[in-house]
Amino acid sequence: MEIKLLTEHYDKPEFVTLKGYQKLGGYEALKKAFKMKPEDIVTEVKNSGLRGRGGAGFSTGMKWSFLPKNNEPRFLLCNADEGEPGTFKDRLMMERAPHQLIEGMIISSFAIQSKKSYIYIRGEYMKSYKIVEKALQEAYDAGLLGKNILGSGFDHDMDVYRGAGAYIVGEETALISSLEGKKGQPKLKPPFPAVQGYLRKPTIVNNVETLAAVTWIITHGAAEYKKIGTEKSAGTKVFSVSGNINKPGVYEVALGYPFKDFLQNECGGMKAGFNFKALIPGGSSCPVLNAEEAMKSTLDYESMGQLGSMLGSGGVIIIDDKQCMVDLLNVLMNFYHHESCGQCTPCREGTGWLNKITGSMLSGRAKMEDVALLDKIARHMLGTTICALSDAAAMPVMSFVTKFKEEFEFYAKERKSKVRGEMVYAESHH
Amino acid sequence: MPKVTINGKSIDVEAGTSVIKAAQLLDIPIAHYCWHEGLSVAGACRMCLIEVEKNPKLQIACNLPVTEGMIVHTDNEKVRDAVKWSLDFHLINHPLDCPICDQAGECKLQDYYMNYGLYNPEMAERKQKKNKAVSLGDRVVLDQERCILCSRCVRFTNEVTKTYELGIFNRGDRSVLSTFENRPLNNNYSLNTVDICPVGALTSKDFRFKQRVWFLKDFDSVCNGCSTGCNVKISYNNNGVFRVRPRVNKEINGFWMCDEGRDVYKFVNREYRLDQVVERRDDFAGASVKGKPVALALQEIGHKIKDSQKLAVVVTAQYTVEEYEAFFELFSGKLKSTKFYVWVNNEETFESFDGLLLRGDKNPNTNGLIKTMKKFGIKAGLWKDFEAAVVKNEFQLAVVAAPENQNVYPELNSRLATFEKLEDVVWLSSCVNDRFKNFRWQIPMKSYVEKSGTFINFKGVEQKIKASVKIIPDAIDLIQLSAGLSESIGVAR
Repeated sequence: MEIKLLTEHYDKPEFVTLKGYQKLGGYEALKKAFKMKPEDIVTEVKNSGLRGRGGAGFSTGMKWSFLPKNNEPRFLLCNADEGEPGTFKDRLMMERAPHQLIEGMIISSFAIQSKKSYIYIRGEYMKSYKIVEKALQEAYDAGLLGKNILGSGFDHDMDVYRGAGAYIVGEETALISSLEGKKGQPKLKPPFPAVQGYLRKPTIVNNVETLAAVTWIITHGAAEYKKIGTEKSAGTKVFSVSGNINKPGVYEVALGYPFKDFLQNECGGMKAGFNFKALIPGGSSCPVLNAEEAMKSTLDYESMGQLGSMLGSGGVIIIDDKQCMVDLLNVLMNFYHHESCGQCTPCREGTGWLNKITGSMLSGRAKMEDVALLDKIARHMLGTTICALSDAAAMPVMSFVTKFKEEFEFYAKERKSKVRGEMVYAESHH
Repeated sequence: MPKVTINGKSIDVEAGTSVIKAAQLLDIPIAHYCWHEGLSVAGACRMCLIEVEKNPKLQIACNLPVTEGMIVHTDNEKVRDAVKWSLDFHLINHPLDCPICDQAGECKLQDYYMNYGLYNPEMAERKQKKNKAVSLGDRVVLDQERCILCSRCVRFTNEVTKTYELGIFNRGDRSVLSTFENRPLNNNYSLNTVDICPVGALTSKDFRFKQRVWFLKDFDSVCNGCSTGCNVKISYNNNGVFRVRPRVNKEINGFWMCDEGRDVYKFVNREYRLDQVVERRDDFAGASVKGKPVALALQEIGHKIKDSQKLAVVVTAQYTVEEYEAFFELFSGKLKSTKFYVWVNNEETFESFDGLLLRGDKNPNTNGLIKTMKKFGIKAGLWKDFEAAVVKNEFQLAVVAAPENQNVYPELNSRLATFEKLEDVVWLSSCVNDRFKNFRWQIPMKSYVEKSGTFINFKGVEQKIKASVKIIPDAIDLIQLSAGLSESIGVAR
């Protein structure tokens, strides 16, 4: 069952405007926050159990508390570079409720005492950019941003920055590089951004959904938030669902919600003539689950972790029995090959190698050994690079090749798809 | 001082030291491409993966500071497998054409393949195609396919020279090293990028394809290109000297040297050298006679000096301290009446400095010369004094310790006329030049690779050079010259 904490008013067009947002209770949380001590807001967020909604699922309050306790200038960056294939929730959140994000960001900035924040929006999200830009102007005009916000004595400036189209910039240190005007490449850690980030100053990078949730938590309190979801995965999560289902779209459900029910109720079940085969639960870099595993799973960090996958960004990809897993893996490898920044050798060379093998497979040139080789390459790319893009490319390979081995072996042996038959995918796509 | 244990060996190191540096102190090799002690950490090649106990994930040694009690393994099966794969990722798109690659023999890909690899390649797909033989500037050529994108050269131009010519463009396995538009790699330190390139991607236009490196031997020396005195190693074989590369000395030159200094080797090779005594004979209508034995020539010169009442000695700062001592011992100690002049080159730019290494004083031993002159109480005149004295016809004979490297004496040709006014000139020089033919004697001198001695650099650091190569068999140094002359003049040394 959907629980709409954040998405409650998303169907109301006026919610986009400042007036409409305020009429529906907007910016009340900010007033409340200004009456609190900044460190109490951090504690409140920590107590709520809110975990980063961008993919890693790290405790938000904890992340904030890593900031050095001094008067050094610090930055809050909103990661709206939503590039993970299968994920399109932040886009909706920015298009339908820009003020919810802005309010969350002002509160969060107040909590960490940052005087400047940026919203880093994916370059392709032109509509989101325009809406957020307009909302920012409204907020400035209403005195919600700038000097002495609402008479609180707190100054804060916020800007929007558009990306240039690189997936890797969704990684927080790459986002910082890009914002600094450099090539969008991840930076070595340590130092971590909370210690030395944007312009070498302490920096917090949070996802759109995370920051929007801060607004709700301050309004209703940590205890209320913690009531929803499971013990370790508190609150709700916004999922974006795609695939041959009856109702693809964006849904907010409580964490811990059984996937089986989610597929039946929210997604409206499989389209007629399609049977459920596999699930990618949190965007394309999460290991795939087969039907049996998926039906056992619940939508939360722990359940997905136990099944060897990840909740990720909540980009749910439903794979049906008409889909050839070799085709799909090749699509993913095209993507990761194209998006590897090229800094670390295993990722730069490995993604290309994997892609070339899947390509060879589709054009009928692969050998039987290549199935095992795919797995072997991926295993040696895992955990060996600066950022997680190498892992993101490796994990789908390992899970696809292990769980749908027969489809890969069939392709290598018979030189055609087990699912599609004669049609060669490569011909239609290259 | 945290204590770290690597492969069972312990060491106390300063806080903040990286594991790779600590391992270096313990003489434990850790494979690496992108890490270089003189540059910032890139952490990109992923070759220096090591296992730290109690940490399930392999770490890179270059960016991991040592912590107290850290226990590191660099040679167990897990690490070796990871390094082997990192190496293989470097090699899958790398051309396997070592026989025609100039780096072969000193290539880190080859070295590590022998240490970690020795496997059959599994890569059966098409390799990435990139550009070959790209000229980056006047001195450096790039082969983009051989480049492993370690970014050492990029960091060098960003951090050391701060000239920002190089960048890595495009992404993923399409990444290429290149120069920015209209910004060729023409700084005076460009060849350092060739030295630090661990593979055959960057090669020196001057050196490439001249010699296979396994036919070369190295010896340590000190650059005589300017008063900085960069520590160098010189590669040579029976055919002469082929290249000069920097040697690490953190006090003097760090890890680097300038491109000008690398050209100095050219003037020690046979084709640039005076290889025998040349004598101008009045009785042969001013023609030159070549090949008189050096000892005989010295005997004749000695007689001349003995008879001469009008003797001048002109010195340049290109010789060693030991040579000056012998030389001044003779001319100042024994022949007390001699007048001395110092020939200073590049007078206008003499004090200049490029901010990194190169100094306007293009002599290796100006301080050594000054020190030795002081020791002998010599008050020497400068060029203008010499010139004035020549005009006044004060001298009949001059002994000139001429420059070894005439290229750093731009005023040389214009000053020859002054010497030509003298009846007899004893021209001590290692280099050959047609314009010296009017001098009475040209004596072949040793170059800095053929003699041992001391240079004192601009800040007073004494550095030794060692005789390492024989290029001109007849060449002598000032010590031998002074001994030969003493004998002939009849003053005991």
